[in-house]
Amino acid sequence: MSNHTSAAVFSRWLGIMFAYKKHAGSWAYILHRLTGIGLTVYILVHIILLTTLLKGDRAFNEEMAFFRTSVFLFFEWLLGSLVMFHALNGLRIALIDLGNGARYHKPVLVFVYVLGIIMIAGMGFLIFQHA
Amino acid sequence: MANKYLFIGSKNSGASKWFMQRITGIVLVVLLIGHYILMHATPDSGHTYQAVMERLHSPVWKIIDLTFVTLGLWHGLNGTWNVIRDYEIKPAWNMTIYTVLVVTGVAFWFLGINTILSF
Repeated sequence: MSNHTSAAVFSRWLGIMFAYKKHAGSWAYILHRLTGIGLTVYILVHIILLTTLLKGDRAFNEEMAFFRTSVFLFFEWLLGSLVMFHALNGLRIALIDLGNGARYHKPVLVFVYVLGIIMIAGMGFLIFQHA
Repeated sequence: MANKYLFIGSKNSGASKWFMQRITGIVLVVLLIGHYILMHATPDSGHTYQAVMERLHSPVWKIIDLTFVTLGLWHGLNGTWNVIRDYEIKPAWNMTIYTVLVVTGVAFWFLGINTILSF
């Protein structure tokens, strides 16, 4: 049973993922799950980092100055792109599940990708204009 | 699942969680738009101790932040559980992962509300 190591399980999972024919929404489904897990990890880190507020103004302002460096601004932008995709595609899922979205989910997906790229570019402008 | 009819017609079908995942998602999108404007359009309003303190001393902002932490954690961890549940995992592992997710949620929720309610 050597194929039960986590690396083997993961590569088998990847194999299955790539073996499926990708219809509209298949990549959105994969991306939605990956970005969702990434954002969940981020919110945990976020909560830990904000406990610095309890240590007073100097500690907090020093921490914020550290995260205003251009490396972290870039990471913030990356994070923002995960948020934008997850939010837009999440609204698409809500439309399909709670509304009549199944009838028009493909055009909406194009809308998600186009608007997503525009919003990510806009976010980059918003973040880096203060750099 | 040992018995595939186990949860049919019961309150534990997961339907309410499925529904709440959508509702919390929509609410989080609305909250995030405000969050991004606050944090990035005018960075000083989000990133200085002074500005954060001014917000945290207002009950309205406290309620908004508490809602944000609660919904964000629940949506994220419930979503992680949704992903894991889609794969056939041994029941013992399933239990372990579920417990870890619940404990993580409760612990970080207390950490978050402690920060908000300390001011």
